[in-house]
Amino acid sequence: MKWVTWEQVGVDRMACAWLIKKYIDPEAEFLFVPVGQKPLPEGAEAFDIPGVRLSHHRGHCTFHTMLREFDLADPVLERIARVVDEADTVQDVTLEPVAPGLDLICQGIRLTSPDDQVALERGRLIYDALYAKFEVEPT
Amino acid sequence: MEPVSGQVWVLLVYKIPREPTSSRAYVWRKLKRLGALLMHDAVWVLPATSWTREQFQWLVVEITELGGEAQLWESRLLLNGQEETLAQQFQARVDAAYEEILAELSRGNADLVALSRRYQQVRAQDYFQSELGKQVRTRLMTARGGFEP
Repeated sequence: MKWVTWEQVGVDRMACAWLIKKYIDPEAEFLFVPVGQKPLPEGAEAFDIPGVRLSHHRGHCTFHTMLREFDLADPVLERIARVVDEADTVQDVTLEPVAPGLDLICQGIRLTSPDDQVALERGRLIYDALYAKFEVEPT
Repeated sequence: MEPVSGQVWVLLVYKIPREPTSSRAYVWRKLKRLGALLMHDAVWVLPATSWTREQFQWLVVEITELGGEAQLWESRLLLNGQEETLAQQFQARVDAAYEEILAELSRGNADLVALSRRYQQVRAQDYFQSELGKQVRTRLMTARGGFEP
C-alpha cells in the first residue's frame, strides 16, 4: 500500500513510518509531497498532514492517533507515543526527558540523509532501539 | 533553534466558544507556552520558523476540533522600524524571564534543578537568541559548584 506525507520528515513521521512498516503494512511504500501541496496523490493514505484522519488530534501527535486508529494496544508503544507527543507538540506536563533529545536526533538524521526515504529508513533504527529499551524498563 | 530571519511572521486569528472554559484556557496556555505575542487583543504573532509554522498549523486543527474557528497567516511588516519593535517585544519578554532566573541564582540556596528547567522553558521561546540567555546558561553551569566548569 502507498502512504503519503509532507517532505522533510521529523520525529513524528519517522515514528509513524516505523510503526506502519512494523505493525500495519510491511510492504508500505512512502511518497513525499512538498509542504502544503494540494491535492494529495490519489490512492495513497495520507499521514501527519493537517486535516487528514491520520494526523494530530486532541493535542496528540500523529503516532498517538495511529495507535488508536489501528487498535494497537501495547504499553511500550503507548510510552513511545508519550515521548513523541512531548517531542513534537507543546505540552504542559513533561515526563520523558528523552523527548527533546529524540526530536534533535531525528532532525539530525534528516539533515544527514540524502532524501526523506533514507531518513525514514535510518529513523527505524532509533525507534527499534527505543522500543527495546522501554520493553525492559518498567514505566 | 534555527535562526529567525526577522522578516516573516506567522499570525493566528481564532475564535472559540465561551463554554467550556477549559477549552479556552487550553488554547490560551498553548499560545503562552509557544511564546506567542497577543497584539491588540486580536492577533497572535510568532516569528516564522518551520517549527512555529508547524505548531500553529496543529493548533488551528485543535481549535477546530474544539468547535472554534481559526485562520493562519504568514506576513511581513511593511513599515520601517516596526519589525524591530516587534522583535524587541519578544526579546523583552524572554529577558524579563531570564532576569528572574538570574535574581534567583544570586540568592543563596537557589534550587538549581528548578531553575535549569525554567531556563529550558524560556529558551524554547527565545526566538531571537538573547544575550542574557547565554549569561544564564553560564551562571547555571558555574552555580553547580564543586568543579570548575
